[in-house]
Amino acid sequence: MKFLPRTWRTRLLLVLAVVGPGFITANVDNDAGGIATYSVAGAQFGYSLLWTMIPITIALVIVQEMSSRMGAVTGKGLSDLIREEFGLRVTFLLMVALVITNFGNIISEFAGVASSFELFGISKYIVVPVAALVVWAIVVHGTYAIVEKVFLSASAFYVAYIVSGVLAHPDWKAAALSTVTRPESAGFRNYGYLSMIITLTGTTIAPWMQFYLQASIVEKGVTVKQYKASRIDVIVGCVFAAVVAWFIVVACAATLHSIGKYNIETGADAAQAFHPLAGDWAYLLFAAGLFNASLFAASILPISTAYAVCEGLGLESGLDKRFEEAPAFYWLYSALIVFGAAVVLVPRLPLFHVMVVSQLVNGILLPFVLIFVLLLINDRELMGSYTNSRWYNVVSWFTVGIMIALTVAMIIAQTRG
Amino acid sequence: MSLVALSELLGATVRDATGTVRGRVREVAVAPQDHPTRVAFLIVRTADGERMLPLESLRSAGAAVRAATDASNWEEFAPSDGVLLLKRDLLDQQIIDVHGRKVVRVNDVDLESTPLNSHLILNVVSVDVGARGAIRRLSKGLVPSFTLRALLERIPPRVIPWQYVDLLETDPARRVKLKIAYEGLAKLHPADIADIVEDLAPAEREAVFETIDEEVAAETLEELDPDVKVAIVESLDKDRAADIVEEMDPDAAADLLGDLQEEHSGQILKEMEPEERQEVTQLLEFGEHTAAGRMTTEYIAVPETAVVDDAIEALKAFEGSREALATIYLLGPGHKLTGAVPLVKIATSSPAIQLSEISEPYVACAPDTPEDEVAALFDKYNLITLAVVDEHGRLAGIITADDVITMLRHG
Repeated sequence: MKFLPRTWRTRLLLVLAVVGPGFITANVDNDAGGIATYSVAGAQFGYSLLWTMIPITIALVIVQEMSSRMGAVTGKGLSDLIREEFGLRVTFLLMVALVITNFGNIISEFAGVASSFELFGISKYIVVPVAALVVWAIVVHGTYAIVEKVFLSASAFYVAYIVSGVLAHPDWKAAALSTVTRPESAGFRNYGYLSMIITLTGTTIAPWMQFYLQASIVEKGVTVKQYKASRIDVIVGCVFAAVVAWFIVVACAATLHSIGKYNIETGADAAQAFHPLAGDWAYLLFAAGLFNASLFAASILPISTAYAVCEGLGLESGLDKRFEEAPAFYWLYSALIVFGAAVVLVPRLPLFHVMVVSQLVNGILLPFVLIFVLLLINDRELMGSYTNSRWYNVVSWFTVGIMIALTVAMIIAQTRG
Repeated sequence: MSLVALSELLGATVRDATGTVRGRVREVAVAPQDHPTRVAFLIVRTADGERMLPLESLRSAGAAVRAATDASNWEEFAPSDGVLLLKRDLLDQQIIDVHGRKVVRVNDVDLESTPLNSHLILNVVSVDVGARGAIRRLSKGLVPSFTLRALLERIPPRVIPWQYVDLLETDPARRVKLKIAYEGLAKLHPADIADIVEDLAPAEREAVFETIDEEVAAETLEELDPDVKVAIVESLDKDRAADIVEEMDPDAAADLLGDLQEEHSGQILKEMEPEERQEVTQLLEFGEHTAAGRMTTEYIAVPETAVVDDAIEALKAFEGSREALATIYLLGPGHKLTGAVPLVKIATSSPAIQLSEISEPYVACAPDTPEDEVAALFDKYNLITLAVVDEHGRLAGIITADDVITMLRHG
């Protein structure tokens, strides 16, 4: 008699338990760096970069799907697998690169916090240290699970971008057309255009996401059998994130680019994208959203970096350990927060610029992480019958190739001035 | 006798008897069926394919390797399940450190070389899990070897002696061939085993639970997180799962089966011995968060007419949990509960005294009592065990204090 109600309850719980990591990861993806990058892309290039959204989304879905599949099949984190298959030296180099890149992202999250309070005239010298302390305490004191729900619900703010985008009366036809048409080749000789494509890709498909998502899947104990639900979670999350990104670009193109305001220097500039929706309240809306996104990502990035590095290098890790048991883990975690926040306190730091540049670094590291993901996921000994299909491989290797080509092209474009 | 690190040996140039370089060391192989620690051969990558350099013809081993025989005498290497390849199976992999009771990652492997007659014997002595091994490997080929050695000597080693290492192998056939039995692990306290198991990947957990003794497996399972517990039991073969569940306390077994999907729990119940199955199914009937859902049916009860000596005999024959031993229950006609005697009284009374004479007032509750009320009773009366009695006054089971602690901590 107890069995009957239990079955549907377990099923429901199963769906709820599995719908999560993919959606959360995709949401955290629209962090300070993401909002800044999409805003700058819209303001600077209008609708002309919208064509990148569809290929980037496809690539995002594919990459995230691979990470979660790998987590479900092997039950191990990405850095564990890289260590086991490619040895210590490769892992060490990759972890150094990941720490540097993620450190850039952490700086950008604190820059987001500073930038959002700047709108109210509150000094970053007060806000950033407080935010750093809050982040550190939330995670170390284990209240993260509750806080995650708060952040996640607050992510509903992204809908405001969609509404604002609609109210700004963008040129729908132009926006839609530039989303689906081939870009003009002239742009590719332009350094700014190239680096913005890499930055857009780097912010949407950030390297940390692969480590974080795979770790979350393992942590949740998602198995191969429950994997189908997980795939839906990943796809829904990615598509939602992409739609929001599209509307941020469109909102900024319609409100900023159209009036000739091409450069976003501060949060105040970016906040104008909300003017059609909120009028004079635009600042408040933007600040609240940016603050939420920044703090959400700031509480995930340092801890996930510390986990990835310690696991890959075989150092003791985990919040269930005491400080003396896992010193490297806690030191790395704390240092990332302290120094990340400290950098933002440098006087006259161009906050918005910092947020965008950190995403460019993401884009440069991304192909290397993807190469490892692809080598691992096609390893039959590891994945059994869950390796990639052929077209999947074609698309993913193509993405890697394009990313590397773009990076090389950007470097060439820069050296030529 | 000297120590040589696996990372030094790998990639070392190999010269044969004529003194010409024939290739480089690619792998170091141990055949556990022949000898648990001794290196059986080196795999050398030569211009002529991969060759096995037997230890009998090894002259020196280190950053350079010399053989006593000619390369043409080295047999071609054929992969086999029965050999442990130190680079592939050990280096960078996770192992169980039985002594330190945790899962660690191998940075390097220390081999001991001993001259014997005209050749060398190499034995695996320990695995390096500390900074020394890591730095040695990271700086190999980048820093001159004498500088490196001087540097490494300053770093305190963190090594695990080979006898305390339990390898993780997910392929059952290979586990047998490599003689991996998790003997070290099984000797630990079940709570420690549970901590270790929670750090492993699902396939590795399954490997541990397929291999270790059923009784140890059952006790470990009780200590695990509910989610992990369910995942492990569902991954196991039904026969094996039933064997383990039979060894669990009936209340824990019922909790576990209640958490499983119906098809799984049904199949496991079917494989269980009739007696255990009946106990567990009875418990499954009750709601999880009631007294009946938390109780165990393994308790000590004797007829009310029995004497102290009978109680001692019952204690000796009792196979249930130690916590249930604290109280001996007295039953009247029709299984009705009539009294309870604490263990202390049994120990301090003479063998011929009637148990009913030393019986104390007891506390009992109904099967559908909610668990927070159960906890309140334990608190109020400072109980060690609590009797659960049905509407006819019959003893249905008992709840022990440890169950209440678990209940309070996990909600």
